[in-house]
Amino acid sequence: MASKVISSTIRRALSKPHGAVSRRHHLSTVAAAAAADTSTAYEDESILMKGVRISGRPLYLDMQATTPIDPRVFDAMNDSGINEYGNPHSRTHLYGWEAENAVEVARIQVAKLIGASPKEIIFMSGATEANNTAVKGVMHFYRDTKKHVITTQTEHKCVLDSCRHLQQEGFEVTYLPVKTDGLVDLEMLREAIRPDTGLVSIMAVNNEIGVIQPMEEIGMICKEHNVPFHTDAAQAIGKIPVDVKKWNIALMSMSGHKIYGPKGVGALFVRRRPRIRLEPLMNGGGQERGLRSGTASTQQILGFGAACELAMREMEYDEKWIKGLQERLLNGVREKLDGVVVNGSMESRYSGNLNLSFAYVEGESLLMGLKEVAVSSGSACTSASLEPSYVLRALGVDEDMAHTSIRFGIGRFTTKEEIDKAVELTVRQVVKLREMSPLYEMVKEGIDIKNIQWSQH
Amino acid sequence: MGSRSELLSLCRALLRAGRQFPHYNLREYTKRRTMDGFRMNKNLTDQSKAYAEAKAQLVVVERSVKLYSLYPPPKTKNIM
Repeated sequence: MASKVISSTIRRALSKPHGAVSRRHHLSTVAAAAAADTSTAYEDESILMKGVRISGRPLYLDMQATTPIDPRVFDAMNDSGINEYGNPHSRTHLYGWEAENAVEVARIQVAKLIGASPKEIIFMSGATEANNTAVKGVMHFYRDTKKHVITTQTEHKCVLDSCRHLQQEGFEVTYLPVKTDGLVDLEMLREAIRPDTGLVSIMAVNNEIGVIQPMEEIGMICKEHNVPFHTDAAQAIGKIPVDVKKWNIALMSMSGHKIYGPKGVGALFVRRRPRIRLEPLMNGGGQERGLRSGTASTQQILGFGAACELAMREMEYDEKWIKGLQERLLNGVREKLDGVVVNGSMESRYSGNLNLSFAYVEGESLLMGLKEVAVSSGSACTSASLEPSYVLRALGVDEDMAHTSIRFGIGRFTTKEEIDKAVELTVRQVVKLREMSPLYEMVKEGIDIKNIQWSQH
Repeated sequence: MGSRSELLSLCRALLRAGRQFPHYNLREYTKRRTMDGFRMNKNLTDQSKAYAEAKAQLVVVERSVKLYSLYPPPKTKNIM
């Protein structure tokens, strides 16, 4: 056995493929230089983009924004995309039947993951469309009797924007505040429900801080008061066990590209017993039970189905691996630095999401220094504006701490070495910034920053 | 269907195929998943289903490696 290990190590050290890749890389450099590419210049294999020089492709720690497609999912997609190109809604020939079969198989795979029946899954173009359809569709259908929507302040932008749209149409919306650990206060929810409440929308796993809401209890409250419960489970499916019957969910939005599937596909679970009714957002030929007209994108739907099945098989294994990495990251950073705060509850949290705030450090400069680690501060949806994330503000985090928050996203493909490197880079950058910071010096001397009287000029 | 040498050769084939991915993350993942997969199913009484699954995965890995290597790699290598 030992000789086999030695021989395989030697073979690996001498293995060709790495050499082959770098040989091809040199050829492409020459070709690109000949084409006079002005946007990126590279010497010594480093990249200059947007005024920053980085020595290579950064390590990817932003799994909440999106995930790379798993090769097994990619394989399933290509398999069908090449041959089964018919329109699944054509009922008259083999191409249509084959494509329809493929879509039905994917439907069963998605339904099994969440504990639903395949007839309750509607494929859409993503979780954003599913959220829009759920929130606006339900309220428009019941607009004569139900005028009130309850949601939280930490929801995804698309839910909040849909609620704002409903407000402009004349509905009333209650935005529930959250406690400092990010969880919804169940008593407040109970008090907020009125006889004319048409929908409660609370996301299962938050995309910025990663906290898991108490779904079973919320489901019970909604059942008592007979209010439909909608949840945005884009970050939750395939990562934590989801059961629509146990959680008493009426509508659930799912997204393909958060579980190692393709971008541009998602699904909405619409409960049939007891039936919840919606007005469709996309009108047309009545496909997908009349709730989402339009040709189904067979290739992407198949990818989504394959990703769901894979997630169901690998959920336990991935969870163990990701939890270990999260502990490694947190302990590694905490060992070398003080003043590190985790945003959101540590107990009720999805292990792949770690949102840290570093005290006495300026946020923009921290991110500028961390260009070799692909992380995000706040969510991609709100990064166009300068203000700190509304989720952190809802948690009650101070402005300065909210600005220095970084969200590390750990996933199936992250390795221990990547985590160690991320820890090293983060610690180095924070230490460098703190050394330059006069505020930190004052804190070390024992002065309490909050009680300083800054002199006015 | 499960003699020691067949299992070993399947494991070795999976590892060898996984090493050819142009992507650092996929290389490491295939290695780890193969070793853990074989280790977890080591003590099963009926190994035929796990063996069949592993064989199917080998086909997928080999096909993916070929496809991923056909396209030109990104202009710079990963910093890992």
